[in-house]
Amino acid sequence: MKKLIIYFLLFTFCFTGCKKIIQIETENADPQLVIEGIINDQLIDQQIKISKTIGYTEANVFPKISGANVTVTDNKGNTYVFKEGTTPGTYINKMKGVPGVTYNLTVTAEGQTYTASSKMPNAVKMDSIGVIKNFFFGRERKTAAVFLKDPINETNFYHFNLYVNDILSERFYVNNDRLTNGNDLRIQLFFKPPTTDHDSDELNSNDKIKIEMECIDSNIFDYWYALSQQSNRGPNQGTTPANPTSNISNHALGYFSANTYQMLSATVK
Amino acid sequence: MLIKHYLALFFLLFISTPIFAQNKFTLSGTIRDAGTGETLIGATVRITGASTAATLTNNYGYFALTQPEGTYTVSVSYTGYAPIVKTINLTKDTKLNEELKSAIDLAEVTVNANNRKNENVKSAQMGLERIDMKSLNSIPVLLGEKDILKTIQLLPGVKSGGEGNTGFYVRGGAADQNLIILDEAVVYNSSHLLGFFSTFNADAIKDVSLYKGGMPAQYGGRLSSVLDVKMDDGNNKEFKFQGGIGLIASRVKAEGPIVKDRGSFMVSFRRTYIDLFLRSSPDSTVNGSTLNFYDINAKANYKINDKNTIYISGYFGKDNIGVKDLFENNWGNVTTTIRLNHIFSDRLFSNTSLIYNNYNYTVRLLNDATNFKATSLVRDFNFKEDFQYFSNKHTLRFGINATQHRISPIDIDSDEASQVNSLTQERRYGIESAAYISDEWAVNEHLNFLYGVRLAAFSLMGPGNFSTYDADGNTLSTENVAKGKFHKNYFNLEPRFSVSYLFNDENSIKASYNRNTQNVHILTNATSSSPTDQYVLSSTNIKPEIADQVALGYFKNIQDNNYELSGEIYYKWLQNQIDYKNAAELLANSNVESELLYGVGRAYGMELFFKKKFGKLNGWVGYTLSRTERKFTELNDGKYFPARQDRTHDISLVGIYNMTKRWTFSSSFIYSTGNAVTYPAGKYTIGGQAAYYYTQRNAGRMPYNMRWDVSATLEGKPGKKYQSSWNFGIYNLLARKNPYAIEFITDPDHPGKTAAQQTSLFGLIPSITWNFKF
Repeated sequence: MKKLIIYFLLFTFCFTGCKKIIQIETENADPQLVIEGIINDQLIDQQIKISKTIGYTEANVFPKISGANVTVTDNKGNTYVFKEGTTPGTYINKMKGVPGVTYNLTVTAEGQTYTASSKMPNAVKMDSIGVIKNFFFGRERKTAAVFLKDPINETNFYHFNLYVNDILSERFYVNNDRLTNGNDLRIQLFFKPPTTDHDSDELNSNDKIKIEMECIDSNIFDYWYALSQQSNRGPNQGTTPANPTSNISNHALGYFSANTYQMLSATVK
Repeated sequence: MLIKHYLALFFLLFISTPIFAQNKFTLSGTIRDAGTGETLIGATVRITGASTAATLTNNYGYFALTQPEGTYTVSVSYTGYAPIVKTINLTKDTKLNEELKSAIDLAEVTVNANNRKNENVKSAQMGLERIDMKSLNSIPVLLGEKDILKTIQLLPGVKSGGEGNTGFYVRGGAADQNLIILDEAVVYNSSHLLGFFSTFNADAIKDVSLYKGGMPAQYGGRLSSVLDVKMDDGNNKEFKFQGGIGLIASRVKAEGPIVKDRGSFMVSFRRTYIDLFLRSSPDSTVNGSTLNFYDINAKANYKINDKNTIYISGYFGKDNIGVKDLFENNWGNVTTTIRLNHIFSDRLFSNTSLIYNNYNYTVRLLNDATNFKATSLVRDFNFKEDFQYFSNKHTLRFGINATQHRISPIDIDSDEASQVNSLTQERRYGIESAAYISDEWAVNEHLNFLYGVRLAAFSLMGPGNFSTYDADGNTLSTENVAKGKFHKNYFNLEPRFSVSYLFNDENSIKASYNRNTQNVHILTNATSSSPTDQYVLSSTNIKPEIADQVALGYFKNIQDNNYELSGEIYYKWLQNQIDYKNAAELLANSNVESELLYGVGRAYGMELFFKKKFGKLNGWVGYTLSRTERKFTELNDGKYFPARQDRTHDISLVGIYNMTKRWTFSSSFIYSTGNAVTYPAGKYTIGGQAAYYYTQRNAGRMPYNMRWDVSATLEGKPGKKYQSSWNFGIYNLLARKNPYAIEFITDPDHPGKTAAQQTSLFGLIPSITWNFKF
C-alpha cells in the first residue's frame, strides 16, 4: 500500500530524475561458502552447487568450489553420492525424490563439514497459468498468474520462478496458505526484468511465459520469504537487510531444499 | 532499595518545609487574552514587596501565590503581550483576573524582552521546548501547510523520519516512543499522507510543549518524549472567522462566544484536494482514484461559576487513498475529551478528564480474486483526576489516571469467492493505571527542585488465549483467560527529578533524572513506518519498555534575554526493546509475539541551542551531536549496532526577518548525517538471482540530508476589520536530491558490476497560500 502512495507521489512531484547512481562506503567481506542444493520429485540430474561470495565492488564472477565431498541420505536408508559434473562446483546425481521423505545433505569442502536436512512436502498441482489485466494509474498492465487449489488439510508453502521469453524475473515469489487455506488461488507474479528499464516490465502479446512451481518446506519458505521482504535488497525499502536464515549448518550461506517441481508455459495473447 | 530511599527523601523534603505559616494570604486568578478571552498558558505572575515570588499560569490560565500580609507590586506578563503592573494590598485572600493586550492589537506598543524574562534559565524543568504559535506561521514548510510537527523537528534533539516517513525521533528513541496528546487524548498516528503533513491543523492549536527529558510525573506511558498539544478554546468576546486556501489544502475556522465572557466555541476544518487534479484526467482509472485527507477540530467551554469550568473538545481526521477497482485504504484518529476544572480553594485547583480516543484503519482489496476488507482498531477510555496545590514555595501536583485499552489487531472480512479467508484476530484488553505526585519547590533564589514519582501499573486482561514461546518461536504453553480476569500484571515505579541552580538571573545549571515505562508498542519490521503498523500491549513475552535518562544542562541569557543560549548533554538506557526475527510475519498473525526479539539500547548526545528572541531578525541555530544504539543477542553477533535513526550530526538554522510591517521573510536550513543502514559487503547468486551478503548491521550510511526552504509573507493593509495575507514558499530551494531509498542494480556503465541507485522524492516545490481573517 505504502509503495503505491510513494509511486503516486513520485508521479506527482518528481517530474524528472528522481533516481541517480551514488557511491556507497562499505567493506568487501572475506569470501563465504554458498551451498544451493535441490532434490526434486523428477528423475533428473539433481544438483548441489557450491560457490563463494565475492566482494561488493568486484565484477560478478563467482568462484566455484571443486573437489568437495557431497552426500545425500534419506530416512529410508538410501545414500546418494554426488559427483562433480562437467560444470565446476556443480555436483550431480541422477535420482528422483519422493514426497514425505526427509533428505539429509552432508558437504565437506575446504576441510569444513556442512549439514542440512529437508522434508519433501506433498505435491500440489498448478491447474493452469494465465495472464491477468490490471489497470494501474491509467496503464493497462498484463501480469502472469498461477491458478491452483490449495489443499485444506495441510499447511502449504509455494515457491515460483517466472520466465518471460526465457529471461528469469528478478523477484522472489513465495506464498504460504496462512490466510488462504483451502481456497482456489490465483497468484499473480509481477515481472521484473534484470535491467532497470521501466518499459520492459510489461508483458506483451506473443511473449512466452514459463512458470516453475515448487512445494517447499517451512524453513525454505522462511528463506525465500526473508529475501522477498528485502525488496530490491536495498536500505529503506522492506525490512532491514540481513542474511536469510539458512537451514545449512556451520554458517554456510544458501539452502538445501527437497521440493516438488512442476512447470507450465503459455503465450501471451 | 533505591526507590525506597527516593520516597523517603521525597517526603522528608516536603515535610521539612512548613507550609502553613501565619498571616499569609493567597493571590489567585486567571490570566486571559484581552482580545479573544483565550486563557494564557504559562504567563508569568510576579509579586515584589515584603517578599518576592513568581509563578506561571497553568494549562487553564490559573495561578495562585501565597505570601505574607503586605503591599506588593504585581506584574503579569506573557510573550507578545503588553505587561500589566498593579499595586495590591494583600490583607486577605485576593482574586486577580487580568486580561493582557496582544501586541497585534496594540499598534505602537513595543513588546520587548521583559515578558517571561529568563524563564528558561530559572525553571527547574529542562528538556522542554515550547513552540511559539506566532512564529510557526512564518516558518517555511512543504506546500505552505504550517505544521507543528515539522517545526519541532527543527529543534535540537528531535529528528525527522526523513521525507516519506511518518514519525519523529527524540533523543535516540523510536517513533512509537513519543506520547502525543491532543487535549490529553492520545493521538496514535500523528501524520497525514505518510508523514508529509501532521494531524494537527495549526489554526486550531493554542499551545505546544515538547518534553525531551525531565518529564513531569503527570505524564507517562511512553519512553522518549511528551508532545502536549492544546486546542484553542475559541474567542469568548466576538465571532471570528478565518481560513486559508493553499495549493493542496484549504482551511476554515469559526469561533465565538456561547455566552459572552463565560463560554466560547471553536470549530476548524481542513481538507486536501490533491485528487481533484486526478479528476481532471480523461482516464477513468486515474480520475476514479482518491488521495485526500481531512480533519476537524472542535471545542467548547463554559464557565458555570467562579469555581467550575467545563470543556469539551474533539478531533476527527481521516486519510483516504484508493485506486479504482484495485484497492482502498483509509485511516484516522478520533478523540473526545470532556474536562471539568474545579477550584476547591484558592490554592487547590483540580481537573477531571474523561477521554475517548481511537485509531483505526481499513484496507479493502477490490481485485475480483482477492476481494476482502481488513480493519484494525486501537481504542482507549481514559479517566484522569489531577490536582494542583499552590503553597508558598511549593506547587504540588498529584493525581490518578486509568486507561482501558482495546486492540483489535485485524479483522478480515471476505466473501465466498475471495481466495482470502475471513479471520478475526483476538482482541486484546489492557488497563493502564497510574498515581503520581510531584512538587515544584523554590528553595531560595538560587535553587529550584521539580521532583516526583509515578507509580505505573499495567494489566493484560482476558478474554483471550495467551501463549508463550521458545527461542525458535514454538508455542510452549497457551492459557485461556476468562473475561475480566487478569492475565499479567506489571508495576513500575518511575522517579522523576530535576534541579536548577541559578548563579544569577541569567545563568543556571540544571540536572535531571527520569524513568519512563511503556506498555503499548508498535510492531513494524519495515525500515519505514506505515498507517497499517500494528499495536500490541505488554504481555508475558513482551515486557514493559523502560528508559532511564540523565541530563545536565547549562542555560545562559544574554542582553536582557534577547538571546538564549543552552547546552544539554544526556545519556539514556533502554530496556526491553523490540526487534524482529528474519522472515517475521507480523500482519494477521495470532502468534506474532513468537516473531520478536528483545534487547537493550543506549543513546547519548549533546544539544546546543542559540536563539535570538526579539528584533527584526530572530530565529535560532540548533546543533545535535548524538549516538543511539541497540543490542540484541540474535543480531549483529550480539554487539551494539546503530539504530536506524542514529545520526551523528544534525544542524538546523531558522531565520525570520520582519522587513516591514507587511513583509516577513523566513528561511530554514537543515543538514543531517544520513540514516544508519545495512549495506552489502559481498554478493552471490541464489535461485539464479543476485543476493547480497551482509556483515555488520547498520554499519553503512545513507548520503547526508540537506535542505533549504524559504518563504515570504505579505500581510494585507493593517487596521481593517478584514485581514488577509499571502504566503509564498519554496521547499528545497537547492533542489537537492535527498535520499529516500537505495536499491542495488547492475551498473549501467560497468556490466557485471553492482551499483547503488538512490531514489529521491522531492525536487524544488513552490507553493502559494492565501489566508484571511475577519
